[in-house]
Amino acid sequence: MTGISAIGTYTPRFRITAEEFSDAWGQFQASGVNQKAVAAADEDALTMAYEAATRTLEVGDVDPESIDWLGFGTSRPPVAEEDLTARLGAMIALESETSRHVFTSSTRAGTRALWAGMDAVQAGAERALIVAADAPRGEPDDAIDHAAGAGAAAFVLECDGPARIVDRAEYARAFPGTRFRESGSETIDELGVTQYDRRAFTETIGGAIDGLKETWSPSAAAIQAPDGKLPYRSSGPVGVETDDIRAATTVHDLGDLGAASVPISVAKALENGYETILAVSHGSGAGADAFVIENPSGVPTTLDLGGETPLSYAAYLRQRGVVTSGPPSGGGAYVSVPAWQRSIPQRYRREAGRCPECGSLEFPPEGACRSCNFLGEYDPVQLPREGTIEAVTTISQGGAPPEFAEQQAQSGDYAAAIVAFEVSGERVCLPAMGTDADPSTLEVGDRVETTIRRIYTQEGVTRYGFKIRPLETA
Amino acid sequence: MSDAYLVGAGQSDYGAFPEESYRSLFRTAFESALESVPKGLEKSAIDEAFVGTLGVGGRQLGLSGPAVTEHVGLEGVPCTRVENACAASGFSVRSAVQAVKSGMADVVLASGFEVMSDMSSDATKYWLGVSGETEWERLSGTTFSGVYAQMASVHMERYGTTREQLSRVAVKNHSNGAKNPHAQLGFECSLEDAMEAPVVADPLNLYHCCPTSDGAACALIVSEDVVSEYTDEPIRVAGVGAGSDSVGLFEREEYTRVPASERAADAAYQTAGVGPDDLDFAEVHDCFAIAELLAYEDLGFCERGEAGSLVEAGTTELGGELPVNTSGGLKSKGHPIGATGAGQVVEAYKQLTGTAGERQVEGATRGLTHNVGGSGGAAVVHIFEKEGESGVQA
Repeated sequence: MTGISAIGTYTPRFRITAEEFSDAWGQFQASGVNQKAVAAADEDALTMAYEAATRTLEVGDVDPESIDWLGFGTSRPPVAEEDLTARLGAMIALESETSRHVFTSSTRAGTRALWAGMDAVQAGAERALIVAADAPRGEPDDAIDHAAGAGAAAFVLECDGPARIVDRAEYARAFPGTRFRESGSETIDELGVTQYDRRAFTETIGGAIDGLKETWSPSAAAIQAPDGKLPYRSSGPVGVETDDIRAATTVHDLGDLGAASVPISVAKALENGYETILAVSHGSGAGADAFVIENPSGVPTTLDLGGETPLSYAAYLRQRGVVTSGPPSGGGAYVSVPAWQRSIPQRYRREAGRCPECGSLEFPPEGACRSCNFLGEYDPVQLPREGTIEAVTTISQGGAPPEFAEQQAQSGDYAAAIVAFEVSGERVCLPAMGTDADPSTLEVGDRVETTIRRIYTQEGVTRYGFKIRPLETA
Repeated sequence: MSDAYLVGAGQSDYGAFPEESYRSLFRTAFESALESVPKGLEKSAIDEAFVGTLGVGGRQLGLSGPAVTEHVGLEGVPCTRVENACAASGFSVRSAVQAVKSGMADVVLASGFEVMSDMSSDATKYWLGVSGETEWERLSGTTFSGVYAQMASVHMERYGTTREQLSRVAVKNHSNGAKNPHAQLGFECSLEDAMEAPVVADPLNLYHCCPTSDGAACALIVSEDVVSEYTDEPIRVAGVGAGSDSVGLFEREEYTRVPASERAADAAYQTAGVGPDDLDFAEVHDCFAIAELLAYEDLGFCERGEAGSLVEAGTTELGGELPVNTSGGLKSKGHPIGATGAGQVVEAYKQLTGTAGERQVEGATRGLTHNVGGSGGAAVVHIFEKEGESGVQA
């Protein structure tokens, strides 16, 4: 038997309402979506995966080194080719030997990762981490983009996890052209043959449910939700109640979460204590996965589905880079990719150094000790996520290095701070960019926490690293 | 050990000059320096040259020293390019003084140049940040306006320094620069202008930031043995000091002082045997308004935390007890990075030879120049003293 032993979700802070689209376009094409989550300019599937995974490991009190299998599912990896589980694993401090797998090309990718994780646990893996993160994109004037949300969920799987996965089945039949993204294209297409699309959806979902070994009576159903109507319309024929779907749905408030749609709905159902949960994903092509989860005693869960910052439609276009022109061409102040790679322990995990002679902290952990002038190897020390602002400014247009001009055009002025971190009475300072907050709200003396975001992209290679945001008071 | 003397100094105009090259600007400064020598100086007398430049734009990144000295006909003279960011030519003056004091040279050219206006503003900014700590500080989203704004945020928090006091630095320096024909922004500005300009990096607005500039400056440093060939009223390089520090602000113990400046000033005062009270004027590195206030404290013009009050009281304006940046400073005169330190010496020379025109400090006999690289990774201070009948009494 395989069970979920911890689960967590992440959604970006931005929300845009259907009314904003209606005001801009005269219509809103995503049925049943009242508002949706929008990723910030410095977020993508990888950073959202990091956020969800970090929360899940925290709520489950799981040591990352104990994870021996990682599965990452997204329909929209930030690069078309490159194994992002290497970076994700470095961000959450997995061992280099951890088995890693990417699942993509479909909104079913999140449940494919779950499926493979179950196989791994059944084959002897001790603890699997499944992360599904997505932020679909269409053209600004189509229904896919109007529905497209953003979010991530992560699960820890173990053979004796309390939320047991008691049944599963999958189903596929060829339905070309229902939802697809051509090679090199940034945006998803669909032909929009309504009855054909609907049939692909209902037949694969029904097929997966029919394939289950038993007939279940779920109290909640987490069904793939490309919009707010399809899951209800399509699932009547397969014996799922509308109320059961409503119990787990997130599409009305978060939009189409792609490969994270079903995983986030499962998290919501577990958080709400439903005992028998049916989870059915769908991916174009077409195929579906069905799972039945029994949750008699509850499972450690951290759910963050609220977003407090409303976006106007113009700000939405800016955040998504639709109306900005890209970074200016380069000149001085170049940081090479190999130089960046060497600093990954610092950029992802805030690894400082402790002086073996005098015990003071140094960042970056290289060069002569500023306290005692020792010149040698430092003992690595991971700084805590929380620190205190010691100096801060808000960088306005014109004050930013040109590498950040595109980001500033997308997301506006930002804070740049010097932040002090403490480990057993020793203090060390790091410079950090602010995110996830109005920069003017960050002041000297404020407590902040780090996260990982996109820093910038040069030569086609996105550099990720720590940023700071106000400490969540929740 | 020979004493070193300043016998001539000159500069090009500072500004944006699409019709000029870095070489033609350098030639203007060089010829102006030669012409300023009271008893004349033939370029063939020059034994050695130091040229400060950061290399903005990369147009002649290697061998940028000989590229200008050969252009002006200093044939075959040993020439070294000096790079210490915005303090490049302050350090070229230091190198010239060292060459003279060591006895290896009698007549040395100390100089600098920079061209910053012949690129797009984005390309310029790529180059501006290059003297900041690149791997961490810059990647937190800062160029120098951001780093100095962080310093200002802490100074304001700790000492109650106000935005108005920052703006008063701009008002004072523009008032001086309006009297300097070489100044790039040679116009007066009102306190209101300087308070309400667009924000660049809070709390710093556009009037709290120096411009980007093209320009060149040259100074001639000679030994005790030959000084009488060039002038009857020698100006001695009485104080020499320099220091360095972490390149990144975040690597320093405190954010409201520039230890490299403190070290440079301590050494300069000590070698000159004088203190801040003995100065008649000072040219300090005001790349941002907060930098001038920090300089007041680092150079001992006032106690820690009192720089805002000092500028507010008018002590540092022309006619005040200690006029600072009579040239207009980096703010109004301009800041062609590699030329700035040598350009400060040009102002010191003018003040001490009584040729500063409308901005002349009456009876000036001793002045200080203070040139900072980056946010304080390097700093250099010189104290110049006028000798002879109208100079300081031994």
